[in-house]
Amino acid sequence: MEVTRPALVFDRVGYAYQEAPREAVSDISLTIAEGEWVGVTGPTNAGKSTLCLLAMGLAPHFFGGRLKGGVTVLGKDSRQVSVIERSAEVGLLFQNPFTQVSGARERVDDEVAFGPECHGVARPEVEARVAEAMERVGIAHLAARHPMDLSGGQLQRLALAGLLAMRPAVLLLDEPTSQLDPAGAAAIFDVLAGLHQRGTTILMVEHRLERLCELCPRVVAMAAGRVIADGPPDEVFNREAVQERVGIPVFTRLARDGALPRPWPVRVGDAATAFAKSIA
Amino acid sequence: MAGGLSLYAEGTSLLHRAHPLTKGVLTLSAIALAFIAPSLWWVVGILVVLLALVTAAGVLRRFFAVALAILLPITLLLLAVQGFANPLNRTVVFALGPIVYYREGLAFAALAALRIACLVSATFLFSFTTRPADIAEALMQRGLSPRMGYVVQSALQIIPQTLEMAGRIQDAQRARGLETQGSLPRRARAYLPLMLPLVLSSLVATQERAMALEVRGFGLKVKRIARYEFFDSTLQRALRWALALAVPGAIVARVAGWR
Amino acid sequence: MTASSTKDQEGMTLGVLNAFRFRLNTLAIVLIPVCIAIDWAGHALASTLKLPLFLDSIGTVLGGLLAGPWVGGLAGLITNFISSGTVDPIAAPYSIISLAIGIAAGIGGYYGWHKTWPGRIALYILIVLVASIGSTPLNVNLYGGQSGVAFGDTVVYAPLVKAGWPTWLAAYLDELSGDLPDKLITVVVAVLIYFGLPNRYRALFSVWRRPSGEPEPAPAS
Repeated sequence: MEVTRPALVFDRVGYAYQEAPREAVSDISLTIAEGEWVGVTGPTNAGKSTLCLLAMGLAPHFFGGRLKGGVTVLGKDSRQVSVIERSAEVGLLFQNPFTQVSGARERVDDEVAFGPECHGVARPEVEARVAEAMERVGIAHLAARHPMDLSGGQLQRLALAGLLAMRPAVLLLDEPTSQLDPAGAAAIFDVLAGLHQRGTTILMVEHRLERLCELCPRVVAMAAGRVIADGPPDEVFNREAVQERVGIPVFTRLARDGALPRPWPVRVGDAATAFAKSIA
Repeated sequence: MAGGLSLYAEGTSLLHRAHPLTKGVLTLSAIALAFIAPSLWWVVGILVVLLALVTAAGVLRRFFAVALAILLPITLLLLAVQGFANPLNRTVVFALGPIVYYREGLAFAALAALRIACLVSATFLFSFTTRPADIAEALMQRGLSPRMGYVVQSALQIIPQTLEMAGRIQDAQRARGLETQGSLPRRARAYLPLMLPLVLSSLVATQERAMALEVRGFGLKVKRIARYEFFDSTLQRALRWALALAVPGAIVARVAGWR
Repeated sequence: MTASSTKDQEGMTLGVLNAFRFRLNTLAIVLIPVCIAIDWAGHALASTLKLPLFLDSIGTVLGGLLAGPWVGGLAGLITNFISSGTVDPIAAPYSIISLAIGIAAGIGGYYGWHKTWPGRIALYILIVLVASIGSTPLNVNLYGGQSGVAFGDTVVYAPLVKAGWPTWLAAYLDELSGDLPDKLITVVVAVLIYFGLPNRYRALFSVWRRPSGEPEPAPAS
């Protein structure tokens, strides 16, 4: 019987940025299995972004700072692996679509090729991966355009394609759609759903709770640098501590304020069913 | 839009198709030879060859417009100053009021101006026939670090973007009442209020950009794979060697008494 | 903040070399093109405002102050390469001077000269000397001793040479007449911008100023 190793393990992790008086995250212990899609949410300064930076290795390699405990991604300790070495297996998509463009390429397809080229991938393979990545995110028709001519939503898909061209086993996303309009956001989530189906491990920071509950089979709620809940969204968002400190999805609040019986639904579909039942 | 900076003019001439290295060696050796060559007629010869190449590349008209704009002022300045003040001056040619012009100074200025013309022609010959992207690619194929190649490629895009932003900031500041015309002190006072916001907004995203690059593996020490191949040939290789060797050869000749 | 140099029998020399020890990291690599763009913008703005100065090294000096001689030097060098290939081929031989200016600014930045008044004057003097002393041999051999600036050539160079002064001296003073005001404004603007940047931003690059082996501050309980 094959034992699958976990994709990400945080073992009592604490991290403080350089010159910061307090830790950004404290005593984080999480295990994420391969193929899981985990949503992370919380108020500002909960440490959600730091979680992504830790998984990628930017904390501590890029930021300096003090790391306690162990971050193990795909079996390798993050202290031993540099960010650029990690980039072959782990990708991180940031919030701002405009600052992720390399700025050194004049065509969208060349831009997507940037990552594989940095890794020394052979030319035919690069072209195959670029075509595949552009297809996956739906920008193949923009292949010849100049990256700076693209809209925010298109740029974010371009950035994602650039990461997918490296065929990462783990994809980290830090509020990937917060700067996009609803159509742009939906496009990104579609791509993620496809990746999830194909077995990519996804860790996604998302503050739109409705989206989170809709998409992620597992949610980690954070506040003040600690994990305060970890489990299926139905469970997590029915807990008062989470509702108070992190927030409550609209449908859940509707159900709560509408005096529906517990447990309150967290997804549209479930909420609709629950309301329909209560009206009947 | 990138390319706003580049002088590159689309074309299919032999020069356009030649390997950037060949053109680079051609440019550098032409410039070196123009400055090593001892007398006017040699320099004129080099200039004629360069202009012939410019014509062959099909960019003569565009070239003249740009080149003249650069060469005219410096040529006039050289003639004006050297003709008047050069220490070798002996033979009077003409006088503008109290300012007397001498043949030796004018000849000196003419030689200097022609050498500069060769410099400009050789440089533009390269720029008009070579895509900036090709320059970076050719250098990286020959061993330039990909990180340095990135610096050049990124600069070529960022410069026109920043200049555009400078224009926008100027409009915004003018709308707020900043005076950009008038006396020198007034214009000078406008400099910092225009530069500071420009620099701040240029610098703002450097940390994010750096992270985004690392996340894609930028800086990995791997053998770089060529993105595309250039047209090279034995003839070009021979030409490069010949041109490169001509330079030390000319120096030796000068030392040995070539005049 | 004083820079600590490695204690060594050679003393001062090795101290300066410390400024070069910083290996260009990704952050520095990203900074260089921005400094190049600032060089260009500084010059373009001066042209637009019709100011009689080049002001094409502000980014170079700023880069040196922020992140050291590698960044400053490369910014200067590449700015010059690009402008030689596009708008000003005559500037091509002076690339090495731009490189030197960036290195000088980087050394000044390492020692924190830009933070004190005597230091700022020292920085200015160093840059003027590098620019003028470096450019003069080029001017003499390539452009007949002239600096290419109409004012300097006609008001300084011509009368001096006519009066019998040695060419190299006249050329130097000609070059100086342009460099003194140009580099003054350059250094002033670069230093003002440096201090106009948020502290947090400057700290990003200060890694290169810190001597290696400094222990991390103890974590807060």
